[in-house]
This record gives sequence, C-alpha cells and structure tokens, in this order.
Amino acid sequence: MPSKYVDMTTSPSVIAKEKLNAKIIPTLLMVDNVLGVQNAVLTLVDRFKPSVSNKVAGPTTKTETRLAINVSMEGCVSLDEGELKGIEFLGAPEVAVLTEDANCKVTMGYKFQ
Amino acid sequence: MLELKPAPLATVSPPVSKLLQEGFYVRFTDEWPGTLSEVKGKLFQIDRQTNQVPYDISRIIPEDDYCDIDLSNATGGENIYPTNSKTLYQTLIGFKPGNYLVHFYIPAGEYVHRLEQAGMVPDVTSATRKYLGARKPEDSPYDEKRIFFYAVKDLEPLILRTYVDLGIDFEKIVIGLLVNKCHLRQIPSPTAEQLAKALKIDYYTELRW
Repeated sequence: MPSKYVDMTTSPSVIAKEKLNAKIIPTLLMVDNVLGVQNAVLTLVDRFKPSVSNKVAGPTTKTETRLAINVSMEGCVSLDEGELKGIEFLGAPEVAVLTEDANCKVTMGYKFQ
Repeated sequence: MLELKPAPLATVSPPVSKLLQEGFYVRFTDEWPGTLSEVKGKLFQIDRQTNQVPYDISRIIPEDDYCDIDLSNATGGENIYPTNSKTLYQTLIGFKPGNYLVHFYIPAGEYVHRLEQAGMVPDVTSATRKYLGARKPEDSPYDEKRIFFYAVKDLEPLILRTYVDLGIDFEKIVIGLLVNKCHLRQIPSPTAEQLAKALKIDYYTELRW
C-alpha cells in the first residue's frame, strides 16, 4: 500500500492523482503539528469531475470534504484504518489547511478499491 | 445471450472452466434474426485458442441520477462488440462495490427484465420500480463475475443504465469486463452428440416473456 507525506507549506496539497477505475481508501492519517506555530485546522478534500449524466450535461469539477480535523499546536494525531473506515475518495485526495505552515506535517497511507 | 449465473453451491473436482475454450461447441437458436444469418440456427466449434481481454469502465454520477453505457461499437459506445463475423465475444460483467444499481436494456429503451403485470417495468425515476430488475454490485462482484453476455457482429446495442441511489452525494461506478474472444468454425451437419454438448445461446427476445 502506498503512502504520501506532505507539509502544509502549500494548501491544498495533493496526496495522489485520481485512479479512474478505483476509489482511494485511506488506511492511515498522521498529522504532526508538534513544531507548528498555530493550531492546524485541516480538511481532507476529494477533487473529481463527475461524468456526463442524464441530469447534468456539462459537469464541473467538484471538491467534497471527506474529513475535517483540528490538531492543536504541539500536538500529533494519528488515525488508523479502523478509525478512517467509511472515508473514501472518488477522485484525487488533497489536504487543505486554514493557515499554511511548513511545520505541520501530514502523512496519509492508502489503498485502492 | 445475457445470463446471471448464481453463486455455486458445490465445487467440482477437477474444476470446470466457466469460460468457453478451444474445442467447445456453441449453438445459436432459431430465434436469432435473419439480419444475423451468419449465426442464426447454426452450430459452431471454437477452433482457436481463446483470448481473455480485461477492461474497466468507470463513471462518477451524482445522487438520484444515471448514465447509459453502450457496450456496442456505435458512436458513443464502448466498442466491446466484435467486428468479424466469425468472432464471438463471451463477456463477463462484474461491479466494484458502491451505492448504485444497473439496469440492462437491449436495444436502447427496451428493458431486459420485467414482470407480467402491466406497469411492472424498470424505471429509475420511480421510487419503487427503480429496484425492479436492477442488478446490485453484490449480484456480480468484480472479482467473481457472474453476468455473462454473448455478442456477435451487428448485434443490437446492450445498454447498461447505471443509477446512483439516494443516500450519497456522488458515487464512482466501476464496471469490470472480461472479454473472452472466441473464433468460430461452423459445423454444417452436427451430430447429436455435438448438439448435446453445445452451449445454447439465446437471442435477447427469448428473455422477454
């Protein structure tokens, strides 16, 4: 199973590109804000473009929030597969933070379904 | 030409392939139309090694909405039909998990599954009849495909109406295909044994009764 580390210098940061024939299922989420200079207000965002459908002839790219989490300054949070159960990304998972901070480090492990 | 094989209750040892193979016989019924005279009422033997070709089709559809996926080679289709009159495609269809339903139509607008009572036809715009004749992903899992579809050149298009049910904003629909390419050689005067061994392939009209 792959994993990706990003620091929140840039928001949003892309974890992985969309896989056309599979959903992306997170198996681990670790947010290390120990050296952060403020509380980290994070969201995991699912970016995808729907297909043409009966009701929508010209779909536009969507960004759906799949998870929101706040990690205190000097804090570190880890969520495992069981705690992330039910979270799934149809497109490309991204991490967004309210205030960019290079000292806020995010690692996400994931698998494909 | 379209069948759902139930999950097996027992296994056979040694195992029997569920895919057609070289040397197998297939028989097309007399119900096949004159426009498909190459196969109508005829018996064939698969005279070359078969070739299994996997392919995935995916869509992301909003809640309470649908899209039609045409498997034929028509404009806008997925090009899953053969172009050679001596080729039979035995296609296995499976689905990845998700909150969606699949209705089969052949040709467009003509549902495969309905009941005898008037009005009991599939309809994705109906709160109840959306579930009539619908296949769920668990009916034919991606890793254990149970829906078999048989296509020859110029067969009418098979349409998969994939509908995302209520309860989820968007859903990713992934349809896994395994196309078993078979090359046919006609047996002009089949023996009783060959007829008995042949896989019978019905025309889609024989499913609607």
